[in-house]
Amino acid sequence: MSTSDGGETIDIADDVDHQVAMVMDLNKCIGCQTCTIACKTNWTDGGGREYMYWNNVETKPGAGYPRDWEELGGGWDEEGDERTPGDLPAQEDYGAPWDFNHEQIMYEGSDEPLRPMDNAADWSPNWDEDEGAGEYPNSYYFYLPRICNHCTHPSCVEACPRSALYKREEDGIVLVDQDRCRGYRYCVEGCPYKKVYYNAMKKTSEKCIFCYPRIEGEGPDGEVRAPACAEDCPPQLRLVGYLDDEEGPIHKLVNEYEVAVRLHPEYRTEPNVYYIPPFAPPQHAADGETTDEDRIPREYLEELFGPAVNDALETIEREREKVNRGEDSEVMEMLTTTDTSDQYRLEVFDEA
Amino acid sequence: MKRNELLLVAVLAAVVIGATAVLPPGVGAQSERGIPVEYTATADDLDSVTGNGWEEVQSVTVPLSSAGADVPSADDVTIEQMRAQAVRTDSRLYLRISWADPTRDTSEASVREFADGAAVQLPTDGDQQPPIAMGSRESPVNVWYWSGSGETEELFAGGPGTTTQFQQTTVATEHTYADGRWQVLFTRQLAPDEPNRTTVPSAADEETSVAFAVWNGSNMEVAGQKSASQWHRVAIGPAPPAYERVLWAVAGVAIVITTLVTIQGIRHTGGDGS
Repeated sequence: MSTSDGGETIDIADDVDHQVAMVMDLNKCIGCQTCTIACKTNWTDGGGREYMYWNNVETKPGAGYPRDWEELGGGWDEEGDERTPGDLPAQEDYGAPWDFNHEQIMYEGSDEPLRPMDNAADWSPNWDEDEGAGEYPNSYYFYLPRICNHCTHPSCVEACPRSALYKREEDGIVLVDQDRCRGYRYCVEGCPYKKVYYNAMKKTSEKCIFCYPRIEGEGPDGEVRAPACAEDCPPQLRLVGYLDDEEGPIHKLVNEYEVAVRLHPEYRTEPNVYYIPPFAPPQHAADGETTDEDRIPREYLEELFGPAVNDALETIEREREKVNRGEDSEVMEMLTTTDTSDQYRLEVFDEA
Repeated sequence: MKRNELLLVAVLAAVVIGATAVLPPGVGAQSERGIPVEYTATADDLDSVTGNGWEEVQSVTVPLSSAGADVPSADDVTIEQMRAQAVRTDSRLYLRISWADPTRDTSEASVREFADGAAVQLPTDGDQQPPIAMGSRESPVNVWYWSGSGETEELFAGGPGTTTQFQQTTVATEHTYADGRWQVLFTRQLAPDEPNRTTVPSAADEETSVAFAVWNGSNMEVAGQKSASQWHRVAIGPAPPAYERVLWAVAGVAIVITTLVTIQGIRHTGGDGS
């Protein structure tokens, strides 16, 4: 935990120097999955990782990936002292590889187009894309990109009886020591976000590494680069930096303006990925006229982001109105900047 | 009457002598929770898990219960006992364990699949008895871990959570599953020429201990969620020498005779008094 000059408290884990963090603006996400593919081609394209999506984008409301992950438990009790038990997802809930009609086309002379076999799957990542909820003309949905939250109070770390998971001292990235891991999977069931995955070929657990080689300057061209999911995002919805960088947009959006909120804060793992909650046009009446009703029910957003989402939405609303009136808004500037040196502040604590 | 008493004496004596002769040498050790390690000059019919020689080797039942480790569902275990048999030659130990498990789990190919498993734990330093749960820093243990997936690991641990795999394994295993029962044979040199390996004693006056654990994969048992035994003394030794049996037989007969004489005496005394 560190305290800023302004007297605000910035909560980071006791045993880390700094804490990497990310703010994702859900109003910009178009569900294109470019982040998902950037991550997959970098880290999970083989070797027992085929089913893994360290970064995924799911439609909300929806069952997500793995299916119904929010119902599988994990995290901490109300006091934050005791872990609550979680369940392991079934392999089918992650989605299994599909069988295609290769045999028929290649060897049996079929002139059918290449297609999945009947009953090839009844679930897969992004299966319920764009389904959402609500009735026409007031149906609604939004996209939720998810990575490991590199939590301040990670229940996966606590779950491991071998201390194979740990928070990196220099930046709080949560990693699995592959030499220590024996594949017990307590971390998989212990993470309430289900962002630790079991590699059945290696018999160890694996997870998002916040592209640490890239932020250490071991990425393309030997430069410090933000994680691939952030840099490859077409609408550039992610800000990457350190929560305790008081001059950076993440600290300001999270701690100062409180417009970036945590997903499922009630799990009490204290995630370091924050979300700008989604806005949607108001509902339409049967005659097509706009009403005052929220399209995305506020209760649903509270269910996802906790009660803090209300103040966040109201603050953003006020800041938008400021801009509409021609006034300056630091919040809206931070959320709309195209200057990558503001979006990605990863060298602020480097020694000169 | 006298003929009947003599007959009784003869029968009792025969039973005592017979029992002494038939009694296997390791029974005494079993009552002390020991695992007898019988000596054999050659292990030709014991170096396979289904070798015929195992039919002649004494089998000890080992009770198992939850290891009580600090992991979720630690007490949810399913296997309550196993059997152990052990034989040594001048250079090698042969240890066969078996337990009933109606579900044969050999795959860990997906996230909810866990393989069955078994482990043999020995103190690294033979004359110590380390804490049962993976030993301690001061008193580490060797663990031979067999998985239903067919893998065998030789491990070193100095307390819970410290298990580390030796790069070179000196333990070989063979297994079979039949009629709802696993049988696993562990074999190893008594004294491998590798650091931090338990030397299995080869003389009756040397001691060490052994503990066991098994996991039922279908019940998602893994890590500290296991059925484990207490420490058992490894009862090394050749069969007890012949004179010991003779002495026991003589003592038995003496007790029988003394008892009968006493009864007879009481009867006679009672007859005089009436």
